[in-house]
Formats: sequence, C-alpha cells, structure tokens
Amino acid sequence: MRRRLSLYGLTFSLPLLIWQLLFFVFPLVFLIALSFWTVRNFRMQPDFDMVNWTTMYGRAVFWQAYATTLTLAAGAAVLTSILAFPVAYAIAFKLSPRVQRWAIMLMVIPFFTSYLVRVYSWQVFLSDAGIINVMLGWIGLGPYGLLNTPGATLLGFVTLALPLVVLLQLFSLIFIDRTLIEAAHNMRCGRLRTVFAVVIPSARVGLVIAALFAFILSFGDFVSPIYLGGGDPTTLSILITDTTKSGQQWPRAAVIALTMIATLMIVAYLAVRFAYRGRK
Amino acid sequence: MTPVTQAPLVSLEGVAKHFGTYTAVQKMDLQIHEGEFLALMGSSGCGKTTTLRMLAGLEAPSEGVIRLDGKPINDLPSWSRDTPMVWQSLALFPFLTVIENVEFALKMRGLGRTERRRRAEQWLDRMQIAEFAGRNISQLSGGQRQRVALARSLVIEPRILLLDEPLSALDAALKVRMQSVLKTLQRETGITFVYVTHSQSEAFSMADRVVIMSRGKIEQIGTPQDIYRAPRTRFVADFLGSSNIFPGQLTRDGQGRPVLATSSGDFALPAGNAPGIAGQAASLTVLDTRMQIHPQPPQGARNSVAARMIGEEFVGATATIHFETDNGQELRVQKSHEDLADLSLAIGKPFYLSWSPADGHLVQE
Repeated sequence: MRRRLSLYGLTFSLPLLIWQLLFFVFPLVFLIALSFWTVRNFRMQPDFDMVNWTTMYGRAVFWQAYATTLTLAAGAAVLTSILAFPVAYAIAFKLSPRVQRWAIMLMVIPFFTSYLVRVYSWQVFLSDAGIINVMLGWIGLGPYGLLNTPGATLLGFVTLALPLVVLLQLFSLIFIDRTLIEAAHNMRCGRLRTVFAVVIPSARVGLVIAALFAFILSFGDFVSPIYLGGGDPTTLSILITDTTKSGQQWPRAAVIALTMIATLMIVAYLAVRFAYRGRK
Repeated sequence: MTPVTQAPLVSLEGVAKHFGTYTAVQKMDLQIHEGEFLALMGSSGCGKTTTLRMLAGLEAPSEGVIRLDGKPINDLPSWSRDTPMVWQSLALFPFLTVIENVEFALKMRGLGRTERRRRAEQWLDRMQIAEFAGRNISQLSGGQRQRVALARSLVIEPRILLLDEPLSALDAALKVRMQSVLKTLQRETGITFVYVTHSQSEAFSMADRVVIMSRGKIEQIGTPQDIYRAPRTRFVADFLGSSNIFPGQLTRDGQGRPVLATSSGDFALPAGNAPGIAGQAASLTVLDTRMQIHPQPPQGARNSVAARMIGEEFVGATATIHFETDNGQELRVQKSHEDLADLSLAIGKPFYLSWSPADGHLVQE
C-alpha cells in the first residue's frame, strides 16, 4: 500500500523533479566545478584550483561591489515595502469588491511591458536634459545630475519590484480576519494604531515575503545599475559582466555568482524564519 | 432582578438600520438596565447581531438614538466607547500570547506595564487559565479560548459586556458548563450582559429578560417565564415550539361567551384574555404539558379535539406524543411516563385531547 502510494505521488512530482535537476541542480554543480577551473591564454581548462576564490575574495573592488549591491537591494526592499503598503492597504480595506478587482488588474498591467522599456523611460525623466530638469529649469533650478546615481538605481529597483510587492502585500491583507480589526477598535485601539497593532502583525508573513521578493529581484538586477546608475558604483551583476568580458574569466564570474546565490539563500532563510517567528 | 424605577443604562429610541434597500433592524425601542442579563434571541437574519453591533459602535444606526447613561452615542466611534464585545469567532489575536491578549485593552488605555500585567493576571486567575498565560492562542482548547476572550473583555471592568453567540462553537457539555460560568460571572460582577443567541435554552437559562426578534422587529420582551407562559404573538409561540397553536377567528357562542372558531372546532377562551372584537383573527396557544389525553370523548370538557396518534419520543422522564387531527393539524402532548401508563398508546389509534379554558392563551396573529 505504502509503496503504491509513493509511486502514485512520484508520477505527479516527477516532472518537477526532472525540471529541478535539469535547470537547477546540474547548472549549480557545473557552476561550482567551473569556479575551480583555470584560464590559460584565454582558454578555460578543467582544473581544481582555489585561485579564482582567493583572487576574487582578495580584491577590495569585489567587497565594495558586494556591500553596494547588498545595501541597494536592502534599501529597495524597505523602500518598496513602505511605498507599497498604503496602496495595498487601500485596495484591501477601502475599495468595494468590484473596484478591488479593477485595481488588482491595474497592478498586473506593468508586467505587460518590458522592464527594460520602463527603465529607459526613466532616463527620459532623469537625464540632464530630461523632463524633470527642464521643468525645474522653468523655476530657475538645476540642472541636477539625477541620472547615473545610486538614487536612480534605487528608483529602477522600485519600478521593478513595486507591482509585485503591492500584489503580495494585498493578498496577505485581504485574508486578514476582519473581526480582529473590529476587536481592536472595540478595545479603544484607533484606526492608525490598529494598522500597527493588528494589521501588520496579522499580515507579517506576507509582508516579509513581499520584501524578500523585492530584495531578490533587486539583488540580481543588471538593468537598473547599468542604465540608471551608470555602472558606478559597481554592483555584483556589473562585476560579473566585466569579469567575463575581460579575458574570458568565466571561473571568476562563477565565484561571484555562487557568492550571490549563497547570499540570497541566507537572506531568504533569515526572512522566512523572521516571518514565522513565534508561530507553531 | 431588575429595579424598573432606575434610569436605563442603555436605551434605543426608534433605532433602525438599513443596508441599502435591506432593512436589518426596523424602528425599535429597547431599554437595557444596569446589572441585568439581557438576551437578544431570534433566528439568523432577525437583526439581533446588527443591534449588538450598533451598541458596540461597529455599525451606525440609520435612524434613531442610542443612549448610554442618557448621553447619545450614535456618532461615537467604536474605539471611543467602552462597550467590549465577545465575538462568535472570539477574535483573539493569534500573534499575541494569552496574557498579551488580555493586556491589549489596558495597553490601549495607556496603563503601565506592571499594572497591566497585574490586572491581566488577576483575570486569568479568575477565569482559571493562569497556567496558560504564556501560551499561543492556537495551543488552547475551545473552552480555554472562551475564557481568554471573556478575560480580555472584562479586564477593563466595563459596565456593559456584549456577547455575540460566544458559545456556538462549543460541544453540548462544555456549552452548559460555560453557561453557568457566564451566569455566575454576571451575577458576581454586576456587569450588564447583552447576549445574542439563536438558542432558546441558552437565552432562557441565563437571561433575566429575553428580547425575541424576528425580521428586524421586536416580537416580545419579557422574563423567560412570562414569555414561556404568555407568548404575545403567534411567531413567539411558534418559535418557542412548546405550544400547540390553533389559528382562528374570535366570535361568540350561543350564550354570548367569547370563543375562537377554528378549523378543529370552537374553543372556549381563558377569562380575562378575550379581546372583544368579534371577527378578528387570533390564535389560541396551549402548552403541550397542559393537554390531557383521553381514550373516549371526555365528558364535560369544553375544549377537546379528536386526533390520531402518529408518533412518540422519549426524553428522560417525559414523553412527547404526537397526534394529527382529521384536518391534518399536528398536536403534541408532553407527559410523564406514569401518566401515560394506562392509556395503551399505539400509533394510528384515535384519541381525544382536551384542555381547560384557563390553560389556553390567546395571541395576536
């Protein structure tokens, strides 16, 4: 009986299992192996050498890029979460179910257009001769160097993550038991205080997961740092392209990629642990 | 019992609630006295919960005035009035521990940490759940959660507590035990309880006064005994389900005495309970315990009907025998087993049911 059950279960999990093996485990194993290969005369050779790890980890530029990427991604996660919350809250609690459906659809529309297009359109706004500086010029201000700044990179990250974060937050807010909110009101907890005392704790798992997604999307993003941030300060994604371009250093790029994967795994683990803290 | 002379703690004056075109509560007047246990009873959709939510400030009345201590509270938001409520779902905060739940209302009132803790512990102690103080809500049984919900609402020592079917999720034995906990608590604290329920046994076993509602309207207000003995309307008699009901028309017999003409015959009415208007529709209710069963037509009985026995059910020491008259009306008689011993009951056998005119009670249609 048990045997048959497990066979039955396997039938359904097999495609996923194969998918995971083909597109996650094998590439990961290959990436790990690659990070120990060596490059001689612009040619990669299978090897088992720690040189890529020691070289990369010994460079200040790597650690600077690491710190920059981590800070920007964390900043994007916090900023996006804060910007998204009032929107998700209003959709969840202030709109009638009919308007709510429309609002959810509107939140999906940004996914229809390419992220690259959205980032380019920010350039139109931010460049020295862009819309914002022209308008500031009318009142005698600027021009300000808005493009090619960490702030512009952050703006790109928010553009990337905001719709998803709003949706994820929304779905955790919608399923809050409304009687909990009424119970708080009933115990002299005013509207704003209820948001912090009841709504946020009730939706904590969803809010943390939403922020985690913003972090993951921003941490690995290449488009915003290069087109809005101007590649300076360098992020890990830019460092990877630079490394591969200069002298076929795929093994060193593998070191960066593996470090990024490890970082994401640790951050995801900590976030999930924080989200479910105190729950049994 | 309630001193009637005292000004009411809460009064509803012409209060109504509409949701769009739907009227949840029709214009109602109700006075709730300090220290009483009042039950709002009715089937679902009768407006009892809406009434309670208006008291808690979770719904605003569409018409009328709600007064607390004589002052209108219509426009007071829920968080500005002290009308704690116990929800059907209990609405305990799952992200807080037991004691944090109980402390919540005190924290909102700005009480210091030690004072909060002390008072919360007192109430946990009183509700006999002190040992669970540090636990999560999900680790408690239904009965324990019930006690947490009560402690959480009572910790501010309010003058009034609103309860919305709090026992409906419990099993029968626990329900009875919690009923006595609630009743004792109410008596000891002297806090006014307004208790919403659809269960007659809950309302009648705990409440000093019962308000029976139907379709957003109050059908009757009274003590459980009064309502049981003298239902005011046919709906109440039907809802209580302990009476046989004969619908008919008021008229007078050959000697000029008031009678009710029904499809089962003309019945004599109790003295002093006979309104004068001939031709008016009314119903005669007779408690199922007050009917007699005879194998032969009873001599000298003014009120009797012929009926065939169609079934019987036993609950403890009493039996309820079901009958059907020739014109299809079902009647019930409740008797002790001894009273039934020499009747040789059998399903399908014809009998005669009688009652004294004094045991009848006339109700409005």
